[in-house]
Amino acid sequence: MNFGYLIVVSSNSEVDYLKLAYALALSIKNTQRPGYDKVALVIDNPKLVNKLKSPWVFDHVIAWDKETFWDGRSWMDQLSPFDNTVCLDADMLFLRDHSHWIDYFVENSELYIPSKAFTYRGEVITNDHYRKTFTKNNLPNLYSMFTFFKKESKTALEFFELGRYIIKNPIEFSNLFLSKQKPKVLGTDEAFALSAKILDIGDDISYNLDFPNLVHMKPMIQNWPWIADKVTEHAGFYFSTSGSLKIGNYQQYSVIHYVEKDLINDEIVSMLEEIAWDKN
Amino acid sequence: MTKGILIFAHNGPEVDYGTMSIIAGGLAKKHLDLPVSLVTDKWTIAWLKESGMYSKAESTFDKIIEIEKPRTKNTRKLHDGFYSQTIPFVNSNRFSVWDLSPYNQTLLIDSDYLIFSDRLNEYWNTDSSVMLGHSMNDITGERSGILDRRVSETGVHMFWATTVMFTKNEESRFFFKLVDFIKDNYRYYADLFRFDPRQYRNDIAFSVAKHIMNGFETEFVYTLPPILTVFDKDMLHEVNGNRLTFLIDKPLNCGDFWAATTTGVDVHIMNKQSIMRNKEKLLELV
Repeated sequence: MNFGYLIVVSSNSEVDYLKLAYALALSIKNTQRPGYDKVALVIDNPKLVNKLKSPWVFDHVIAWDKETFWDGRSWMDQLSPFDNTVCLDADMLFLRDHSHWIDYFVENSELYIPSKAFTYRGEVITNDHYRKTFTKNNLPNLYSMFTFFKKESKTALEFFELGRYIIKNPIEFSNLFLSKQKPKVLGTDEAFALSAKILDIGDDISYNLDFPNLVHMKPMIQNWPWIADKVTEHAGFYFSTSGSLKIGNYQQYSVIHYVEKDLINDEIVSMLEEIAWDKN
Repeated sequence: MTKGILIFAHNGPEVDYGTMSIIAGGLAKKHLDLPVSLVTDKWTIAWLKESGMYSKAESTFDKIIEIEKPRTKNTRKLHDGFYSQTIPFVNSNRFSVWDLSPYNQTLLIDSDYLIFSDRLNEYWNTDSSVMLGHSMNDITGERSGILDRRVSETGVHMFWATTVMFTKNEESRFFFKLVDFIKDNYRYYADLFRFDPRQYRNDIAFSVAKHIMNGFETEFVYTLPPILTVFDKDMLHEVNGNRLTFLIDKPLNCGDFWAATTTGVDVHIMNKQSIMRNKEKLLELV
């Protein structure tokens, strides 16, 4: 089986996305089984990778600078070197082995994007604070931070092509399809959801499963009774030298989408590196 | 394997927990068809004798287990309708139930939890060492707040220790030792779990222990059913067989009430004075 994770980053003056991708790749190497731990990085300036202490965590480094910021992820099907790929956001961490998820997807899916995420306390997120566009326009509730696809899939090809076209023409598609609540920025989640709706494949690519379990750390959807700007202003982020993570009083076992980019500091990167070096 | 029910009762200056435990114990014995034992102290026993209730206690309880009354600095504001008073509150020795219970399997209930059904008998054969009441259901369904559902806004799920069922084994022994440890280090755990430390609450200590024992995750597979609760601002108005009539406090309308009834369901009546005002009718049911 040819499988790997794909991370797409580009240079940004405010956030060091390569550092986040490096931490994610380390966490994948530290937790996933051999054969399920390949990582490909797409980056506009590949020379930067050689400055990392362990650049070997990226099995493939692909130079590509056609898009900036998150728009690059919509090209995942064109960029991936793997036959079977999960494309991830850079600001995520793996904390335990989820290789069995991949077995299921390779066996049963051409394209899968989860439709649910969880709070740090393990509750399914139902609050649509950040997703009014989805609810008001009746879009499938896709979380593209974890997108599985097969390279040979015609469905995936059609889906990503339309997604890219939507991102290139946000005003036209917003006016036509998202008139009840137009997004400020038509991002990958909105574009993919709209693509799935137009192609009428929402139920095929996002049916209900008990996995993947993705913890989404945006602050206003954590079922707190007050307004919050950051999760970490209210619940601590405790990363240990053994690679485990507790948020507030909850041990985390799922894949974390931590959102706050400054959480991954040099200390946490060092801890992840130590674990990787011990393992290899 | 022996099964039974246990109730703790330590009288205070304002509340006759001893008599309440006879009502709660008698109803539990009648509807669950199991022996009930009482854990109490010499002062409560003396009052039961003085008030002529001790013979009723002897006939109700399988065993009356006398222990030292714990010293307490704990107080609580206890409402009776819209009147209220702050009273001492002895609740710090529940952790000792593992050592005190004469049964292999024990259902621990509060003395203000009145059982009118056999629903809890469904849980004895569950594959779990310790189970707590899942949550609290306000009788109106509208008045519970976030601190009835969680130990704090960002904190862990609040189980309700009004009902606790456990099997004596190493796991349950460790659980109650942990509850004791949390009680002894309550301020530390309040900092860690972000709850209000000013009044020791068994619900919180038990919830934190449950969370820790479950690997710092919340687990809802093995729990007792939610606790149907009538707040202390409400009043038990009338007892007519298994049918209880309550006057329910209307939020934001002090002194204004709705009427509500329950028939044949287990109910946690937090207004202890109103239980005592209806004690004759309730004792007739025992």
